This record gives sequence, structure tokens and C-alpha cells, in this order.
Amino acid sequence: MNYLYPYRHYFVSLILFVLITLISQIFKENLQMINIVLIHLIPVIVIALWGNILATTLITTLSIALLALYIPPTLSFLVHELMYLWSFVIFYIVGYIITLQAKRIHHNSIKEILYSTLSHDLKTPLSSIMGNATLLVDSQTVDPAIRYKTISLIIESSRQMNRLISNLLDSARLQNSQSPLKKGWCDMEELISLARREFRRDTLHDRLECRFDSDLPLFYADCALLLRLFVNLLDNALKYSDEDKPIRLDIRATPAEFRITISNECAPIKKTDLDNLFEKFYRAGNTADISGSGLGLTICRDISRAHHGNIRAYNIANGVSFEVTLPVLKRPASLKEVL
Amino acid sequence: MKHPTLVLIIEDDNAISRLLALSLQQNKFKTLVAKDRHTALRELQTRSPDLILLDLGLPDGDGKELIKTIRTMLSVPIIVVSARNDEKEIIASLDAGADDYVTKPFSTDELLARVRSTQRRFLGLQKSGNIITCSDIVIDVEQFSVIKGNQPLKLTPTEFNLLKYFMLHSNEVLPHMKILKEVWGVGYQHEMQYLRTYVNALRKKIESDTTSPEYIQTELGIGYRFVCTSPA
Repeated sequence: MNYLYPYRHYFVSLILFVLITLISQIFKENLQMINIVLIHLIPVIVIALWGNILATTLITTLSIALLALYIPPTLSFLVHELMYLWSFVIFYIVGYIITLQAKRIHHNSIKEILYSTLSHDLKTPLSSIMGNATLLVDSQTVDPAIRYKTISLIIESSRQMNRLISNLLDSARLQNSQSPLKKGWCDMEELISLARREFRRDTLHDRLECRFDSDLPLFYADCALLLRLFVNLLDNALKYSDEDKPIRLDIRATPAEFRITISNECAPIKKTDLDNLFEKFYRAGNTADISGSGLGLTICRDISRAHHGNIRAYNIANGVSFEVTLPVLKRPASLKEVL
Repeated sequence: MKHPTLVLIIEDDNAISRLLALSLQQNKFKTLVAKDRHTALRELQTRSPDLILLDLGLPDGDGKELIKTIRTMLSVPIIVVSARNDEKEIIASLDAGADDYVTKPFSTDELLARVRSTQRRFLGLQKSGNIITCSDIVIDVEQFSVIKGNQPLKLTPTEFNLLKYFMLHSNEVLPHMKILKEVWGVGYQHEMQYLRTYVNALRKKIESDTTSPEYIQTELGIGYRFVCTSPA
């Protein structure tokens, strides 16, 4: 059922239509035309509260179409009285005004969640940095092993903060339609090597198994965003798997698309969680002790979509796979030796 | 006796300038801090530093303008310190005459490596002659031959020219457009596809693991850096 969840607003509106039509048909004799018209405004308001212009347009149009059952000549979709045309216009106006307001409120609430998540997620590594640094200043401990551990924690926390900040900046860039993608020719191998550099050598290096054709073509995209995609997926794989288990990265290229799959070994993810993993700030039920903002995978989805692609997660035999599919929109021209 | 290298740090943030000064002092450099453009110019004239670390985000004026001004006064290596996500600024600074850059946040190791390699380049340790060596790669410009380890490598003419250019400018940050112009020629500055394709091909021949290259490092959005750990 969960894959229907994003469309829940449509279902609510459709159920409302059924109810309204039932009521209107049963009490047809007792209701005035004005009552029927007003009842038909209810689904418009309900859908408009979702804040999606397209949905509002669809449901409003459907609502008006249903009114044809009552407006004489009934079932003809012909309107002889100007009055009804005015009603229809008002339907759209009401729908759009509520949609825009809902959008604004929705936007603000996202901002609020963002701030609270951020303050939490920036403060966690920050407290680790402060705590460990204070420890080093205050204590006279000279045990090199303890010092090394403490300093490593500071560095790891700083890297975590750095990744989070990069994510925020890229997320802001994706939200803002004013700054379009900076597209260029990207070399996937190069991006993997750059993604690797964002992690400490001992955390990722020996565990990452890459598989791809040696003659992978170049891909036309926003390279910085694709890098972010790799980093987030690898970060995710590292966080949710055991320390010594391999992480696999496969890239397959066909003339039509690139398919990137990153898999790690872990317990299977519940169906409900799989379907909602990419929703903003959604975190699976078993993650209370793992630090994360619930932002990383959402950005992966946004980046995939910005490139007209797709991302999905699925359970495999002994773990989970994240698969990104990106369509090839521009092919590299065949090169001749130019020298 | 050689006097210790004097580094002028132009940075308005106290914490960062302290960090820079401290890590340089730990490594036998002498340091000098200027918080703004005005002080920086005065220090430049009176103390003549051997190297400049310049934060691009100075409160009084544009960092690029300052680079140009310094360039008209002195021939001294400049390393730019920049915040993330402004590749355009970095490229513009390199064009204006900066020699290298580090992005915030950086590790002190990274900074020191940049300082040392910039300094080495400036001290006139230019590669000369027909044979250039970098770690286990030896290239003979005259003979058009490349040896890695003890194995001769088969390179196409473009790959060879690219490698030659890289090795002549090892450890230097090389913006995309500059490489394209120098290796392919004027008019090819925007042919990024060429560069990516040939760097990929060259990596396959000289790197042991292309997903974690030792030699040709990518500076995303800016260019490439051919890393030579042993001095050429």
C-alpha cells in the first residue's frame, strides 16, 4: 500500500467525490442548486490544502465535470447560464488561492524542521569536537593511544560536519530554480575517486569493491552533484552496515542510460521503510543510534530527478541495494586524434 | 646561511590566521599576519615576504584585485585560501596570478604540502633537459618514450603530450582551460570532452588503481594536478 502514500491526497478527494455524489443524488429533491455547487467545493478545498497546483487543477476540473450531473441540461456538459460559468471560475480561484497559501505554510514548516534537524545534526559532531578538544587541553594524559583516539574523533566529526554542510549547500542549490545545473562531461571513475577522498582511508578503502566496464563513456551532467550523490550513497552504506563487510559499487552503461548500484550487507529493510526512505527527514525505525539527518537520501533523489533519473532501494539476498538510473541525454561525440 | 622563509598571512579571521601561523611556525617558517588589504600592502613593502597566503574573502576589497596589485609590485608566490563552492573565484584568482589554492576546511598537512611545492617551484627548480622523472615514471621528450617501472608504455601522441605537460608542471594546479590551450591549442579551451577522455585514457595506462589515482588528481570544477611525491 505504501507506494500509494504520496498520492493519498488524490484518494481522499476521490472518496469525497463519491460521498458527495451519493448525498447529492439521494437528497436531490431537497437540495437547492446552490447547495450542490457548494458541496462540490469541498474536495477542491481539501486538495488545495496539499499545496500542489497540478492536483488542484485536476480535482477542480473533475468537480466541475461532476456538476454536469445537476446543471440543466443534465449530463450534456453544456452550460446555458452564464451564472454557472462564474461559479466555475470561482472554483478555480478558490482552489488556487488556498493552494498558494498552503504552499507557503508548507514551505515554512519544512524550514522549521530543517532548522531543528540542522541544529541537532550540526551540534552532535560539534559537541564531539568541543568535548574531545577540551579533554586534550584539560587532561595531562600523555598516553599516545588515547590522544590518537581523541584526535581521530575530532577529525571524523569535522568531516561529518563538512559533509552535512556540503549537502545543505547543494540542497539549497537544487531547491532554487534560479541556479540551473552546471552541466559538463563527467567521468564516473573520476567521481568515484573523488568520493573516496571524502572518507577516511581506513573506513572505506578496503571495503569498497567497484565493478564497471573499463570503457565507460563520459556522462553529461552536473559533476559536483553527481559527486554528492556518490558520497551520500557511500556514506549511507557505511553507516548502515557492519564494519568489515564489503560495499559494492556497480556502474552499467547502455546507450540509453547509466545504472549505478551501491549495495551493502545488513538486515533487510521493512517494506514501509523502503518506500519512504527518500522522503525528507524520514528515517527508518531502527536508526535511533546512527547519526544522520534524513537529508542525504532525499538529496540523492533530488539529484537523480534533476537529471531526469530515478532512485530506488530494494532488499537483496543479504543486504540492501540503492539503484540510481540516469538517462543519457547527450552522447559524447567520437573523438579523433587532434594532434 | 639561508634565512627562514617568511610567510605573510592575509586573513581577517583570528582563529584561522592563528592556525595558519602556528602550523607554519611548527615547520620552521616565520610568519606575519595582516588582517586587511591596507596592512598587507604595507607589510609587503617593508618586510618583503617569501610567500603569501591570501584569504579571498577579505572585508576590504576584492582578493583578485589584491593579487593583481601584488603581482605588479613583487614576484612572490601566492597561495589563495578560499571557502568551498566558489570554483569561479578560484579560477579567476589563478588567472589573476595566484600560484595555488587551498579550500576551507583544509588539513594542515595539505596546506604545508602546497606551501612547500609552490616554494620549490618558485626557487627555480625548473625541469630542464629531455628526461623528466616523477616517482616511477620516466619520460623522454626527445625520444617520445615513456617508461613506468621498467615497462615501456604505449601512448598515443595526444596522451604523450598531455603527460609531458603534466610532468613539466607537476604538483601545480592546472585549470582545465589552460591544459586544453597548452596541449590542444588555442580554440580548444572549451573542449572539456577531449580533456576528460584523454585523462581517463592516460590514467588507465599510468595508474595502478584508476578509482584511487596517485598521479593525476582531479580538482573538481577547476582542473587537474599531477602529483609527484619524489622531486623530479
